[in-house]
Amino acid sequence: MRISFLVVLLAGAVFYTYIAYTDLSFVTRTGRLGPGFFPRIVGSGIIVMTLWTILEEMRKQRPPESNSQQWRDVALLISLALGYAVLLRLFGGFVATVIFLGVTLSLLNRGRTLNNVLVAILLPIGIYALLDKALNASMPPALFDFIPI
Amino acid sequence: MDIFADLMMGLSIAITPINIVYLLFGALVGMIVGVIPGFGPAAGLAILLPVTFGMDPVGAIMMLAAIYYGAMYGGTITSILLNTPGESATVASTFDGFPLAKKGRAGPALVMQAAASFVGGTVGVVLITILAPMFSQVSRSFGPPEYFLLAMMGMLTLIVMIGTNWKLGVISALIGFALGTVGVDLETGQGRYTFGSAELIGGIYFIPIAIGLFGLGELFYAFHTGLHKTGTGGIVQYDKEERFWPTTHDWVSTRWTMVRCSILGFVVGVIPGAGATIASLMAYSTERSFSKTPEKFGTGEMAGLVAPETANNAASSGAMIPLLTLGIPGSAATAVLLAAFLLWGLRPGPLFMSQNPELAWGLIASMYLGNMALLAISIFAIPVFVQLIKIPYRILGPIVLVICALGTFSVHASFIETYIMFAAGIAGFFMRLYNFSPAALVLALVLGPLAEEALRQTLTISRGSFMIFVERTPSLWIIGVTLALVVVLPLMKRLGGGAQEAEKSGS
Repeated sequence: MRISFLVVLLAGAVFYTYIAYTDLSFVTRTGRLGPGFFPRIVGSGIIVMTLWTILEEMRKQRPPESNSQQWRDVALLISLALGYAVLLRLFGGFVATVIFLGVTLSLLNRGRTLNNVLVAILLPIGIYALLDKALNASMPPALFDFIPI
Repeated sequence: MDIFADLMMGLSIAITPINIVYLLFGALVGMIVGVIPGFGPAAGLAILLPVTFGMDPVGAIMMLAAIYYGAMYGGTITSILLNTPGESATVASTFDGFPLAKKGRAGPALVMQAAASFVGGTVGVVLITILAPMFSQVSRSFGPPEYFLLAMMGMLTLIVMIGTNWKLGVISALIGFALGTVGVDLETGQGRYTFGSAELIGGIYFIPIAIGLFGLGELFYAFHTGLHKTGTGGIVQYDKEERFWPTTHDWVSTRWTMVRCSILGFVVGVIPGAGATIASLMAYSTERSFSKTPEKFGTGEMAGLVAPETANNAASSGAMIPLLTLGIPGSAATAVLLAAFLLWGLRPGPLFMSQNPELAWGLIASMYLGNMALLAISIFAIPVFVQLIKIPYRILGPIVLVICALGTFSVHASFIETYIMFAAGIAGFFMRLYNFSPAALVLALVLGPLAEEALRQTLTISRGSFMIFVERTPSLWIIGVTLALVVVLPLMKRLGGGAQEAEKSGS
């Protein structure tokens, strides 16, 4: 997994550096350092360092990584977080938060339905009151607005 | 006397009913964030920044500063009662804090850590009061070459401190620099990596990245380590103890520890990149070498708790010096604080104290009040924090995630920034898992644009010659100090690391 992460990083670095060399000039027409000067140094640096680390990783014999249970829980939370990001756009801050907390707590905190329902409803109300009413800051608006908050 | 007059002016600004409320609220919330395992000052500041919207700049900055040092106070409570440090700067506090609690002295340990934090924080603020104007004076002679070198010094020292994983630290910093290049190039007006998106023209904003890396990333990592499955059975029940207050011997035996470690912590804190973690480990190690009974360290010695606690709070104060006088953050937390300053239209640097005396001295004065408030809060509100520790992480986790998401959106009402925060959270989890350095990335993201601008200006002034860096006296000084730090810091780290190793082998 560590190598996979480094390879993804390398791919990103190659793309970044490619743009730095093709789209951004090193010096301007007036002879001053251009917008590509810094990105070229930085991009080349990431490629060199990542390649170095990948080669070192390949030489090492690593024991198998942590058990699947750990990954299952974190994958579940990341999936729920991504689902929440989509819900925020569709249903706005308040409704999306109620749904997210309801689903997440029912999965992570099983058997405590009353507690979970209370947190899922009271917390969004509290945050709405704080952000929207007290601080006059924005809550994400809904594309499909079926509750007027 | 100028300093005294300025401080009095600062106090007159800080002591207003509303500012005191902001200060107390910030200190309390900071402590709450510090209590949550994995969440330190940087995460606390990033997540809670939106709460300051709608306030006047003085109140907002005072509250953010209170969150910053409040989180440092709070991080120790779990170290003592649960043997789980709230964040890396309180790791050293578990060495003797938890054994003290197991011996039935949790109450005195909690009070002494609050007192030690107070002494460290207050000595730190006194030193800020004296030294910040001097640093400002010196830094007025700095030009673009010096600023570039200072930015590099901050990055280099941070990477040197990372140690064996330094290559991953360099990659993290370079990613931060790369993210910092997104947006319109200010010199030529050409767009870089914007891909036609209007939202990226102004660059990748710092706050979503910081909230993602420190808030969401830490949360995912905590779930990966199984923190959400651990119960709260390991908490030491301090309220069943007969004696809550420390003995006279506790106070007397640690008085010089507090003095030594305050100064040591402050000095380490001023060095960009070194920070509170190194300060606390070094203080522990130094104090053990000073002790007549070093064999008692690790078995519940009060000086072993007081030393790291005093040092990490003094280091937090020390880290404010480069921030206020140079505009260069030395740690991830002060980088978030710098972002907050910029959000309020304030640019810390050599002229900050002379151009914004009310704000600068108001902030410094508020730190005196904040430390006093935190001393009271951390002693009398301990039962509240113990209740907070009892909330299972499986409930706390989703709540933190919601606060991160809605907090990010509220900054600029931008869905793109919210999605960037989620992406940074996932990246932050893998970075944490594979020993990359989110702190180096965040610091580089803040320092990158500054370093690029300074380097380009420098090379324009010198007509492309790098010799300018050795032709100017201030530059030469900075190079000298940087080289000295690169040599000295690994030794300091080894000293601190020695404490950790000895503790591990001892236990």
